[in-house]
Amino acid sequence: MAERAQATGRGEARETLATLFVVDADVHVHEAPDELAEHAEPPWDVALREIAKVDERYLDLPAISPRAEYRIPWPGGSNRPQTVSTAADMRRELDDLHVDDAILFPDHLLSLALVREPAFAVALARAYNDWLADRWLRHEPTLHGAIVVPPQDPRAGAAEIRRHAATPGFVCAYLPAAGLKTLYGHEQYDPVYDAAQETGLPVAIHSVEAVYPVFPFQLEQFRTAMAVHALAHPLAMVANLVSMLETAVPVRFPGLRIAFMEAGTGWVPWIANRLDKEYIERRREVPLLQERPSHYMSRFRYGTQPIEEPEARADLVKLFELFDGEHTAMFASDWPHHDFDHTQHVFGLPFGAEARRRIMGLNAAEFFRIERRP
Amino acid sequence: MSGGVAEHPIGRLEDLPPGTHRVVRVANRELGVFNIDGTVHAIPNLCPHQRGPLCEGSVSGTIDSGPHTDWKLAWIWDGEVVTCPWHSLEFHVPTGRCVAFADIRLRTYEVRVSDDGALRVVV
Repeated sequence: MAERAQATGRGEARETLATLFVVDADVHVHEAPDELAEHAEPPWDVALREIAKVDERYLDLPAISPRAEYRIPWPGGSNRPQTVSTAADMRRELDDLHVDDAILFPDHLLSLALVREPAFAVALARAYNDWLADRWLRHEPTLHGAIVVPPQDPRAGAAEIRRHAATPGFVCAYLPAAGLKTLYGHEQYDPVYDAAQETGLPVAIHSVEAVYPVFPFQLEQFRTAMAVHALAHPLAMVANLVSMLETAVPVRFPGLRIAFMEAGTGWVPWIANRLDKEYIERRREVPLLQERPSHYMSRFRYGTQPIEEPEARADLVKLFELFDGEHTAMFASDWPHHDFDHTQHVFGLPFGAEARRRIMGLNAAEFFRIERRP
Repeated sequence: MSGGVAEHPIGRLEDLPPGTHRVVRVANRELGVFNIDGTVHAIPNLCPHQRGPLCEGSVSGTIDSGPHTDWKLAWIWDGEVVTCPWHSLEFHVPTGRCVAFADIRLRTYEVRVSDDGALRVVV
């Protein structure tokens, strides 16, 4: 759709999506296993070619992202393609969305933390990072990469960050959260944070729908994707954020920039207020924290998608005020996935002009250190 | 916006067999035109959720349950429900009713079929 939304406020000049600097903090590339095989170290290339023989389904591959699919397949439903396989296609589709720059996250490797063989997880991450640099980042300077970190081997993850920090186009490291066996506050990840801080790259935590016997993914009691999807993303963010504050990651790594993606933002003021309340009574447990938890949370960044849709749109503005979203929220579409948010929808929300500019692009540009191209 | 009501040609019935649908552009708006069991319906190609191209979606039935089905699951409106390709919000084409939100109802447009099979939508 080539609609051009306009946002107006009293006394403000009209700004359109076409003139606004829009940075999309979360879009997804499709890493086909046969393409990864070309960049994989032996013998993993052999396994990837074997995996490529299986017909791909949405976010569902053997050995990489197997999904126990209990959804009942009624006729109908979405008929929209939900994968993008080339940089040129992505650039074209983002043009339709009026997105200037975007941060690329994977499809199948959203489930990387669930891969059981650590050596395979490391090989997948290395192959993906090389594939992304070669097939995407070299071709489209407005598409920026996230270095995949395999949580199964934090030292290998730290090495990946250092190996690709200077590769043109990479702007952050991606920490997979779905099915993560040890939360990201644990000291075992210190090498990852050391590497990120040293290289100046932020880390972005991103989950995906999963049912798995580690907190907070023990979701077997629920019957529906509505329940599992509603809980898996925000609970994963809450769990990892609390874990990182418990071990004072932002104090121990003061130069580290941290973002939480694809969980909406309704959970942010909720957990901030809970933690601040606890801190009053239990500061002795977390003596490294010199300030209340919400102080550190204001240094984090939060992806907007899937954005909450209260009936009164002004309530969304109030929600953003509760966590200073004007300075901490980064527009994310999640294109081309099933629950993507269209730019015109977020742009059309009744934010003030400056808040809109910051949320739609400037916050992410500062966080990922992206400059607007003339 | 007001103005006269007019008939706009939108093709021929033989090109829109039962069970098919397509998007047409008339009078500066996009409509989805559906042939459901020989009756031609038209609704806007615009989902009120995030303004997605509703009528580019798939057509099927849908699942219902409640006191009127004796609390059992029922497959209803087979061939009468279009699902928005963006976020899967469903609409009952003949009435324009949003399945999830009964208070949301899309405008429906009359489609006239002449004896020679020409289709005209009244806008």
